[in-house]
This record gives sequence, C-alpha cells and structure tokens, in this order.
Amino acid sequence: MERKPIQTPDVRDNDTELVTAIQNGATDRFEELVTRYEGKLYNFGLRVCKDASDSEDLVQETFINIFRYLKDFRQETKFKNWMYRIATGVCHRMRRRSKYAPERELSLDEFLPQDLADIDTELPAWAAMPIHQVLNRELGDHLKASVKELPPQYRLVLVLRDMEGFSTDEASEILGITPTNVKVRLHRARLFLREELKGYFHDNQPHTS
Amino acid sequence: MTTNHTHHDDDHKACLALFEKLSEYIDGETDEVTCKAIRAHIEACPCCTTCLETLKRTIGFCEEVKEVPVPAGFSQKLREALKKMPPALSS
Repeated sequence: MERKPIQTPDVRDNDTELVTAIQNGATDRFEELVTRYEGKLYNFGLRVCKDASDSEDLVQETFINIFRYLKDFRQETKFKNWMYRIATGVCHRMRRRSKYAPERELSLDEFLPQDLADIDTELPAWAAMPIHQVLNRELGDHLKASVKELPPQYRLVLVLRDMEGFSTDEASEILGITPTNVKVRLHRARLFLREELKGYFHDNQPHTS
Repeated sequence: MTTNHTHHDDDHKACLALFEKLSEYIDGETDEVTCKAIRAHIEACPCCTTCLETLKRTIGFCEEVKEVPVPAGFSQKLREALKKMPPALSS
C-alpha cells in the first residue's frame, strides 16, 4: 500500500510537526514520541490499572497500536487526545481479561447526608489550609488508592479530567460518551473521593506546622 | 444543606438542586443565570459553602498529586519491543 500524503492537520499543537514528520516517513523519530509520552502514559496506567505491571503493559500496548495506526490518524483532533483514546481502549480490553474492578453505578443519593446533624457548617482544617501544606506523600498515596476504588467508568472520567487535565469535551471525545455523561460521572466520582478524604482526615489530622 | 434543623423545606430543595450542580459550577460550566443563583445561595448557606469548598479541595488534591518516574529498565524494554514491530508506518 502506498503512503498517502497527509492532509493539512485540522488541529495544531506541539505534537503536530513531529506526528506529521513520522507520517511522512521519518519513522526513526517515533522514539521521540515515546520519550515525550511514556511517563504520562505510565502514570495514567498507574491511576487506572490494577498495578505497575499492568501499567507497563498498557504503555507498551498503546505505543504498539500508535505505531500500527499512526498512518491512518487524520489529525482531526490533537494527537494526545487520539493517544489517550487508544490507551483507554487498551485499558478496557485489559480489564475484560482480568475481571478487575467490576462496574457499578454510583448514585447521587449515596453522597447526600443521611441526617441533617451530619452536615458540617464549619470548613474542616484539611480544606482550609494551603494544599501543599496538607498534601504529603501519605495523603497522595491514599488518594491514588481511593481513585482505584472508584468503579472504572467513573475512575476514567475523574483521572482524565482532574489528573490528566483534559476538558469535558476532550474527555467526551476520548471516552466516546456525551459531555453530559462526563459531567454526571465526574461529579459522582468527586463526591466519592471527598467522602474518602473525609474518612482519612477523621483519622489523620493535617499537620499544622 | 441549610444551616440547621429548623430550615425551611424550600431552602433544603435549593441545597439539593445546588448539590447536583456543584461540579459544573466549580468548572465554570453552568450558564450565567444558574451561576448567579448558586452564588447567591452559597453566600447565605454555610453548609453549602462547606460542601463547595471541600469539593474544590478534593479536586485541588487530585490536580496536585505527583507523577512517579518510569521504572528503571522499562524504557529500554519498551524500545526493544517497538523495534521488533514490522514497519507499519511505511507499508
């Protein structure tokens, strides 16, 4: 099959030049893409997969798919968004294989206080103090573990939106769901995490030093 | 989520309506009218203020969680696996 000339990209960003060059034959520059994104994808994997070994598999399988299909990427969206769409597809396949973390729905009602007496009227210390004073390694580890407790469809949305920095529209495009669905899942995922944090700070008061 | 046990039902309804939209409000994705209504309610409702601020902080923590480096040896292993790939890009 002859290589098709690449049409003018619809979306331009820092990856456009490199991606276009590789598509036009500079395959030796593929390693630059790997260098640019292996860390991002590895950390994405750690947040959405079962463990570090699965995360390594996710990175490898994602790059193999990118290598295979980059010639067909029409640059109608950012390369990064396309790459994450591939990565989430890999993640879905891995989960089906391992039966890890079954899906379940999170209802908004789960997060409503059962009793009005349970409602805080005063801001707790962990929410009032500067983030960097509170967010130590232990809390970071707890937060990552809590993210893994989220049902996968909620976890992916939260990770893409609040950890990887994608917009609602981008997350919608990556996951193939509507923006409304992204918003609904994101809100419930955040409420779930907030409950986890409340539990954590019930047992561990933030340092005030 | 109004202030106390004697709050009015209408206030509680407003709290519940706001509760559903808090994330959209934080993300600046509500329309102007809803945004104004939420802001006015929050100013008068300490419970919803706490609810908003704790949710904002939860998001803040997520955004600030540090990434970890790729494990030693993995980068090499990855590149070796990719080198074994047939030349799909030039096919």
